[in-house]
Amino acid sequence: MTEYAIETENLVKRFANLTAVNDVSLKIKKGEIFGLLGPNGAGKSTTINMLLGLLSPTSGRVLVNGIDVHKEPARAKESVGVVTQETVVEPELTAEQNLMIFGRLYHIPKDELQGRINFALDLSDLKEFRNSYAGTFSGGMKRRLETAKALMHSPPVILLDEPTTGLDIQNRTKIWNLLREINSKQNVTILLTTQYLEEADQLCNRIGIIDHGKMIALGTPAELRQKIGMSTVIEVSADKEELVKVGQIFKKVGLEPTVLSNKVSAPGGESAVLKVEKLVSALTASKVKIHNIAMHEPTIDDVFLKLTGSEVRDSTGEMTGAGPAALLRGR
Amino acid sequence: MSIIQDTYTLFIREMLIFRKNIGAGIGRAIIFPALFIFLLGSFGSSPKNVPIAIVNYDNTASSLNFINALQSGNNVQVISSTTQQQAMSQLAAGTVAGVVVIPNGFASTGLHNVYVYLDNSQPQSASVVDAKVAAAAQQFNIKPLDPPPPSTVSVVTNYAYGASSNYLSSVVGGILVMVAAFGSVFGSGFTVLSDRELGNLKAFLTTPINKFAILLSKVASGTVQSIFSAYVGLMLGLIYGATLTTGAVGFMELLWIIFLVGLGFSALAITLATKTRQIQSYALVAQSITMPAAFLGGSFVPINLLPAFLLPVAYLDPLTYAVNAVKDIMVKGSIPLSALVFDSGVLIAFTLIMLTLAFMFFKNTSEQL
Repeated sequence: MTEYAIETENLVKRFANLTAVNDVSLKIKKGEIFGLLGPNGAGKSTTINMLLGLLSPTSGRVLVNGIDVHKEPARAKESVGVVTQETVVEPELTAEQNLMIFGRLYHIPKDELQGRINFALDLSDLKEFRNSYAGTFSGGMKRRLETAKALMHSPPVILLDEPTTGLDIQNRTKIWNLLREINSKQNVTILLTTQYLEEADQLCNRIGIIDHGKMIALGTPAELRQKIGMSTVIEVSADKEELVKVGQIFKKVGLEPTVLSNKVSAPGGESAVLKVEKLVSALTASKVKIHNIAMHEPTIDDVFLKLTGSEVRDSTGEMTGAGPAALLRGR
Repeated sequence: MSIIQDTYTLFIREMLIFRKNIGAGIGRAIIFPALFIFLLGSFGSSPKNVPIAIVNYDNTASSLNFINALQSGNNVQVISSTTQQQAMSQLAAGTVAGVVVIPNGFASTGLHNVYVYLDNSQPQSASVVDAKVAAAAQQFNIKPLDPPPPSTVSVVTNYAYGASSNYLSSVVGGILVMVAAFGSVFGSGFTVLSDRELGNLKAFLTTPINKFAILLSKVASGTVQSIFSAYVGLMLGLIYGATLTTGAVGFMELLWIIFLVGLGFSALAITLATKTRQIQSYALVAQSITMPAAFLGGSFVPINLLPAFLLPVAYLDPLTYAVNAVKDIMVKGSIPLSALVFDSGVLIAFTLIMLTLAFMFFKNTSEQL
């Protein structure tokens, strides 16, 4: 038996004129919670789909629990639970029926099935809704049902593609707790993709940051924070013509600015508040017209700024609409 | 774990969903056949109780017997008139479809004569009256004379369908085949698309099942829904007055043919669904195949009435053979074994071709999610 739950070796996936996943090699240990972090269209879903055996890699190998996913798909899939990006529950079936069907598809023995269904209903906190149609559920309830569905056959590995995207804080926390619980109690290996830095930071033992199909950073949250310098971010937005001037003022007060399309941004370092005070008085003295001044905890945008020197593509509108992003999501 | 078991699991799912939406299922199964059976069944069949006016200038036992003969059955409803003038004005007003004048001396002259005036603006009713008078006349060995001018007699003797009592059974038979084909389109193809849209297809593909189990379960559920639709259609038809003279054996034969139609068209629907992205375009394509197939196959009009250039198409249409078999069973009362084997053979061949295509297209489905 291998010590790794998931291994990819030089994984490459090319679509017609786009390399969605470019030479990704990953080793995820058993019992790890691993976060694959990246913006829309970075190649997260394509990677997941190859791990699931839905897409065949152009080159490279995928092993799940030591089983080659594309050579022995059925055996590999039996050991994996999946929560896909789109919440997949059948609205025309009850919670229990949803679980029953998937339990059977995962070949849970007949005499165990009812027990597992009850376990899953318990886990997802949906016991009292067992006979309600899933179509009547809120988004969070559906997500929980789907997550429980993925855990029902006690897989040693679960893959979650953006499990909390679009959920409110309450449901997000519930899912996080559920994942932590199964990880600590049953030693389930978890691989999740996310767009939220906070989620990866809070939940994962290790994080891989992916962009343009390439792994651009890999490490524990602490390592990454050190590398990226994830301190408070100071931002000033202003008219385009004024941005260069604003940048110069940033430098004057000891900040390292990056001038973007509509704002200037810089990591605040240790005494961020003090620096903001200086910045405000300097800006006032220079009579530069600004729109807004803000401080915030670093987001994925800031990480990308630091790692790649460019803004997250979706936020600039570059990738919206036409093909690739949609293609990568498998839609 | 076998593909059959996975197919069965997915089939259960389809049936649970079908049961949940049973109201819509029944509604759909009723609306189509009810509409078509009513429309087509009424069109071209013999009207009943056609009102005619009779002017009896003779008033002998003989002429009264003649009127009784006219009244037998319920084809015409006799309204007595005292004068021809009064009767003719009723004809002109459209309150009666025909006027029969029995002249004085009807019985005494060597040759019995009656005059018949028909409203040929109502060809259906007129022909009923004409036929009824002719029948009664034959019984009495008399000859209905073309009346003196103004004569408007125009006798329609050729029906496309024949005005037999089997006409309705024939219509119902054709409709059954059509609703069976439609049932597949709704029951299998649509669900492939909605499952893809909702992500269910992807979810199934991540489970350790053989992906063809998905395909087979769709074929099975489409077939069941075809049979269900056809069964509802048959019950409606029987209530409306169609007959299934062959009884239990005929019913089983009918079921067999409908089963084959369901199977073949479910496979066709899935083939189409794997090649279309949007529900709207699927609906358009599926309907523009099923509807002409039903029409050319003789569901509405017997194929010998089709123009010559459409005949080859009709012979390539699997529904032609299904309709042929069903009409034999329902109208003629029996189907020769050789015909049953031949028609079934064509349908089985069609099913196999469609299943092969469906398998081919479905193979790469996970790359196209």
